[in-house]
Formats: sequence, C-alpha cells, structure tokens
Amino acid sequence: MRIFKEEPKIKFINKRYYAFALSGLIILAGVVMFFARGFNMGIDFSGGTMIEVSFQESTTIPQIRGLLNKINLGDAQITRIGNENKFFIKTLASLKKMNLANAVKMEDIEEYEIVAREIKTGIMGAEEKNQVAAGKIDLNNTAEGEIARFLREKGQNDEDAQQSAKIIIDLRKNASGIISDFSALEKAGVKHKVMAVLRQNAFLSKFTFLSVEFVGPQVGQDLRRKATLACIWALFGILVYIAFRFKFLYGLSGVLTLGHDVLIALSFILFFNIEMSLQVVAALLTIVGYSINDTIVVFDRLRDNLKIMKKDDLEAILDKSLNQTLSRSIFTSLTVLLTVLSLFIFGGEVIRPFAFTMLVGVIAGSYSTIYQSCAWLKAWEKYFLKRKKS
Amino acid sequence: MDKSITWKVGLIIAVVALSIWLLWPLNKKINLGLDLKGGMHLIMEVVTDEALAIQTDMSATQLKGLFKDGSIKHDRIMRKGFNRIEITGSLLADERKIKDILDDDFRDWTYTIGGNLISLTLRPNIEQQLRDQSVDQALETIRNRVDEFGVAEPTIQKEGLAGDKLLIDLPGIDNPERVKSLIKSTAMLEFRQVISGPFLTEEAALKDYANGLPEDLEIVKTNPRRLDKGFYVLKAATVVPGKNLRSARRAQDEYGQPAVGFSFNNQGAAQFEKFTAANIGKQLSIVLDDRIESVATIQDVISGDGIIKGRFTMDEIDDIVLVLRSGALPAPLKYIEERTIGPSLGADSIRKGLMACIGGLLLVVLFMLVYYRAAGINSILALLLNMLILMGIMAYFKATLSMPGIAGIILSIGMAVDANVLVFERIREELNLGKSPKSAIDAGFKKAFWTIFDANLTTVISAVFLFQFGTGPIKGFAITLIIGIVASMFTAIFVSRVIFDLTYGRRKKLSKLSI
Repeated sequence: MRIFKEEPKIKFINKRYYAFALSGLIILAGVVMFFARGFNMGIDFSGGTMIEVSFQESTTIPQIRGLLNKINLGDAQITRIGNENKFFIKTLASLKKMNLANAVKMEDIEEYEIVAREIKTGIMGAEEKNQVAAGKIDLNNTAEGEIARFLREKGQNDEDAQQSAKIIIDLRKNASGIISDFSALEKAGVKHKVMAVLRQNAFLSKFTFLSVEFVGPQVGQDLRRKATLACIWALFGILVYIAFRFKFLYGLSGVLTLGHDVLIALSFILFFNIEMSLQVVAALLTIVGYSINDTIVVFDRLRDNLKIMKKDDLEAILDKSLNQTLSRSIFTSLTVLLTVLSLFIFGGEVIRPFAFTMLVGVIAGSYSTIYQSCAWLKAWEKYFLKRKKS
Repeated sequence: MDKSITWKVGLIIAVVALSIWLLWPLNKKINLGLDLKGGMHLIMEVVTDEALAIQTDMSATQLKGLFKDGSIKHDRIMRKGFNRIEITGSLLADERKIKDILDDDFRDWTYTIGGNLISLTLRPNIEQQLRDQSVDQALETIRNRVDEFGVAEPTIQKEGLAGDKLLIDLPGIDNPERVKSLIKSTAMLEFRQVISGPFLTEEAALKDYANGLPEDLEIVKTNPRRLDKGFYVLKAATVVPGKNLRSARRAQDEYGQPAVGFSFNNQGAAQFEKFTAANIGKQLSIVLDDRIESVATIQDVISGDGIIKGRFTMDEIDDIVLVLRSGALPAPLKYIEERTIGPSLGADSIRKGLMACIGGLLLVVLFMLVYYRAAGINSILALLLNMLILMGIMAYFKATLSMPGIAGIILSIGMAVDANVLVFERIREELNLGKSPKSAIDAGFKKAFWTIFDANLTTVISAVFLFQFGTGPIKGFAITLIIGIVASMFTAIFVSRVIFDLTYGRRKKLSKLSI
C-alpha cells in the first residue's frame, strides 16, 4: 500500500507564515493561560499531600468535600478518576490551617504526614471509627506484612498467618481494593480458625486508600530548577551534535523546532490543566530527543539535494526535500503515535499525563518538522547559502 | 548460502538464546517497582551538619583536656557552627604551647591565631570524609533495623548528587508510622541528671532562671505517651553516653509490666556506679532521642544493668530494643519524600500497562503489515526480537520495572519500527528509480544507516539528561528507552537485513519485492 503513488509536490515553504502564525497563536494562548491560571503543579513540584482513595459505595465530590470541611480541609483539590468511585485528594494544607498547630512543632514532612492521617480519619464513617477504637484492624487498609504480623500476635502460626494475609491481599487486588464481606475470605480459602480470629479482631471498611504520597516543600523547588536545566542541556546537546554532523544553522533550526514542540506541549498541558509531575517532564525530554528524528531525516536529504540541485533556488530545494521525505516523516511519527495512543487509552490514570504530553508532542513534532524546520533555514537564506558556497 | 550469512544467522540465534537465558524464569528475573507491587518508598536526608557538630564537640572536649593538662590559661573553648572551635582569653603568653598542641594533635584542623581568639576550622577534605562516613553509617544502621524488622527484599541506597540522601524501598509495608519511627529514631540513649521538674509548660520551667538558662542546663520534653506531659530541667551533659551500652532486651519491672532492659560495658558500668554513688536520693532521667522516657529516683548504687520503665506496649518495647541493638544513627534524618502504594493499585497498573503494551504492539503490527506487506513481517520479527533483547538486558542489569518503565517499553515499540520505516521507504525510492530489487535493498540499508544513527543518538542524548535528572522510576524510564533504542539499531538494521538476505538472497532472479 502506498499513500503517495508519486512524489508529492506540495509547496510547504511559501505557507510558512501561516504556520508561524498558527504556532504563535497557540503558544501565545499558552502564555496567557500561564499567567491567568499557571500550571497545575503536582506534589512532585509543589510539595504537599496526595491521596488516592476508592469507595465501595457510590460517592460524590461534594460528599467528600463535606467530610473534609469538618477537618478544615474543604479547599483540598478533589478529582474523580474516570467514572469510578475513585478520587484524588490533593492538598498543600498545613496544620496551622487545620487548627492543629498546637501539635508539636515539626519538620515539614511530618506535618504532611499528620495531614494525611487527619484525612484518613476524616473520611472514616462513625462505625469504622468505633472499630478502630476497639483495636481492630482494617483488612481493606492494611498491608500484607502487617496483617501477617497481626495474626501471629493473635496466636496463629507463621504459615497460617502468611498464607491468610496473602489470600486477603490477592482478593483485594482483584476486587479493586475493597473486600465487602467476610464470607468472601472464607470462600477464598482462609482457614476456619483464622476466620474466627479475623471476625473477632478485624473489620472491613467501605473504602481503601490506594496510595498516600507526600513530598516536602524543599524538594519541589530543587526539582523545578533541575527539570528546566535538564531540558536546556538536552536541547544544547542536540544543538551541538547536529552542528557537528551537519552545520551550525541546521542545529539551530532543529533546536528552534524542538523548542517549539516543547512550548506547544506545555501550552496544551495548560489548556487541559494536566498535572505537572516528574513523568510529564520525562515526556517533555523524550519529545526533545524524539521529535528531532524526522527533522534529521529531512536535513539529511536537504544536504544531498543541495549538492545535486545547484541551479535551483533554496525554496525549491527545501520543498523538494520535504516532499521526498514526507511519507517518512508521517509514518515514523505515526508508529509512535499508535503506541502512545494505546498507552493513553489503556494505560490508566497513573500514566495518562505522560501519554497526553507525548501525544501532543509527537503531533507537534511531526507538524513542525514539515512546516518549521526548513522554514527557519529559508529565513536565514542569506547566511545559509553563503556558508554552502564557502 | 554464503559463509557470511551463516555467521550472521548464528550471531542472531546466539543473541536470542542469551536473552531467553537471561530472562528465564520470568517472574524471578524481572523486579517489579513499588508502584507495581505496592509498598513504601522513602527518601531521607542525613543531616550531616549534625554529625559534624558532634565530632566538633568531641574535639573541643579533647582540647579542653589538653589545655588543662598543660595548664594553659584561657577563658573558654567552645564550638561555633558545626565545624569550628573558638578559644578565647589572653592567649599570647602561651602561644608556643598552644601551637605545639594544635600542630601535634589537631592536624585535621586549620587555625588562625589572634591576640584573644584562636579559631579552628575543620579541613574541607576531612569535613567531606566525615560527612560521607556519617551517611554510610546511617545507611548501615538503617539496613540493620529494616532487616531485624523483617521486610522482604528491601532496597536501601544512596541517592542524590550530594550523596547525602537515602532511598529506602520497603515492599509490602503500609504502616508508615511504625516503620518510620523505627528508621528515624537516632537511638541516642542518654542518662542525665534531673535538676527540677516536671513543669506543665516551658515558661514555667524557665521561671527560676530570670537571667536565662545557664549553659550547662537544658529543658527537655517528656515523651507524652510515656510520662505525663511536661518539661524537665536537665543537666546538659550526659552521665553515661549511649555508646557504652552493651546490650538491650525485653524485661519486666517489679510489677510485671513490660520494660526495656539494658546493660553497660565495663567503662559505662564504672561511670554509672560512680555517679549513682554520689547522687543517691536525686533524680535521674533516661532520655531517648531528646525525649524523656522515664524519670527515677536513685535509691542505691547501680552499676552494670538497669531497666527503663514506662507505659510501654509490647510493640514499643520490641522497637526500642531493636533500635538500641542496631546502634545509634550518627546524625538525625529528615524526611524528604514518602509514597505508600497499596497492593491493589499496583495490580491495576500492571493489568493496564500490559493492555497498553499489547494494544500498541497490535496497532503497530497491523500498520506495518498493511502498509509494507511481506516486508512488514520482516519488521515484526525484528520488533519481537527487539522486545526480547530489551527484556533480557533489563534482567541482566537487574533493572526494576515500574509504570514509567512500562511506558518506556511501549514507546520503544513505536520507535524501533521507525528505523524499518526509514529503510523500507528508502528501498521503495530506489525501486522507483528503476534499480533491481537486490541493489535497492542494498542501497536502502546503506543510505538509511547514518540517518537512523543520527536520529537515534539525539534520543539517547536527551534520555541521558533525563537519567541524570530523574529519580527512581524516571531513571528506569530513561534506561528502558536507551536500551530499546540501542537494541533497535541491532534489530532494525542488522537482523532485518539478514532476513531480507535469507528470503531473497537465494533466488537467482528476483523481479519483484513485496514492500
């Protein structure tokens, strides 16, 4: 199968101003968004507490906010994950704000830890609180090792304790975290004598904390600086490499094209309020490394054509090179796009910000290779061709 | 078939065999990251300044002794900051003697001498050495504690450019409070004399000292779980330092309540005996990590053994015994980051990651088959081999597979066929120019090589910066990407070429390529 039966003859270069205008507009809108709302900083960068919680019964954001209001955390950011009863709760709140400041003066992270604990108890229902107060353990919120320890303390032998704990955790893995009934444990093969202990000393809460994370505030600043530096150094490294393999102006246009891709990706992150995290930075750096690929393919061809088509003007040579490599530019990006798309659709909430950033970056990279990389060379025609002659 | 082909096929079979051998059995060779199997991830900073301060204190004490022995007149010797000692007084008279002492016994220090002030500073290389030592020692101590606590397959390693951070991964744990107090406890056990107390507030404790607290006294909080809330005024100096502890164990007090038993070594026992003999009737406090755990009146002379009484639970007793046994941390720790991932989230991520992997693979395979037909099969074989090599190398390096790592593998699928696309497109182009299939294949591979090389190298460049910048999982992603790209250079250029040669090489007349 072929998309282009013949070599296409599209005039890309004379449309360069439209392309610059389009990109300029998107980036400008991004800048406006940046000053109007700013990035939605994840705790990697801002520090704070982030909890992922799953409920057994259908729950709404206002319900959770109501619970959090009682502990002065009503302004926490709550987001529903997909259509499930799963939520992210994110907060920068300090103890002072929660009127808990009379607690001992503490180092930063311990403060977040107490916030996390407050949220946990804040979400618990009255019955669950009673159970905890009675010294029972919550099988839906206790780790395998801890359950085993608990059973050993209650007089079970090592083997039984470990085996039962494993059954419980495996059940939770399949039941998306929440076991609703003790009978499910029995069915799954927990021994009778262990069941007796569990019924007496354990309970099953109606929610589970899928993850609890907190990051101290000093890390974020350090990381922001390091992330920016890593991006700049990567761009610089690529500039040097292309300048070495081709010429300086090729390198410069390549890096400008890349900078464009990163800015477009950042703009879309702002438009869709995607959370800035380490994985988004990883996606941005991957775009920097990857989206230059098809630009290199074009430059390679351009270098050959400059030798062959000595009589033509630069615009014709640029257009010819772009057309000759067009199917390559499109299909190399397409294969990566297909995999990123699959990651975006099937990969789940955890990896979605990464997939989103890559998706935008790969599309922007393909577009910018065609409409911008060579357009920059055209803009510098005077210097570019002079160098060619010398 | 000519000889070179046999040789190439042999190499490919060897690589396949090696990868499978490295990977087998799969579940033992691929380590899952905490985000996939659940557990607790901690990053802590060792406050090495504190470790230096302790060292500097010891040197200051040594200096005091030497000045006393040489009866050198001075006002004061004290620590400034964490790495300086200042000696004040009219020191000119004894300048010669002082210089001798400093030159002989304080070679790790640089000093400046003024009329009334001598100031010593720790040499930078010694300072760095002490910092490194304290981090190593902290790492070792934490490893002991984690091992004793019984966590399966923990990861404990240094992290960060300055090397003063520790990364601790504890799979299968999600009771952060207990584990953390265990890890963080500096386990500094001290026996200190009580001057007055208890007071309800710090202000009340200060009331008797209108001119401020004298330097040799200190106000210390009680551990609210053990004693009634309050503050005591204690002597700042410890009667017997914790390093003179020989062992710790579970014990009971006279009422059968759980208590922590301990015994001193000979030196400690002698010091303790001397102190208790001189202070019968006075109060003594046992301070663990700057919190008073118990206060008792000295009834009699005590030497070798003792117990710490308090309202301990069995768990607490076990934890205290454990930290006392594993040795003291050289410096306090500061938490930087903590992530606890439950087991169900990890299981969910694995399922979804696998799905995305299969989805991506299918889409790419479908595209290559539709668009390049028979040549597509060639690229798919190369791609599968690429995946195999990628996993094999990861197993060899004992790399940990995390969610970003899975994303890296999925991306590698898309990127690996890029090289095939470049070669195939080039072959098509050569065919259009009217070349014979064989020479088109030849030219296609030859001409596409440097383009592919350049393009892949730029990706490696930015992956290297990413590796350098990132922590744990992000590093994993960068590594996966780099390995995937390197493997694709082998599969898409070398292996794919061999497959072409095998399928078309033997035919004498080749008029049409399926591409």
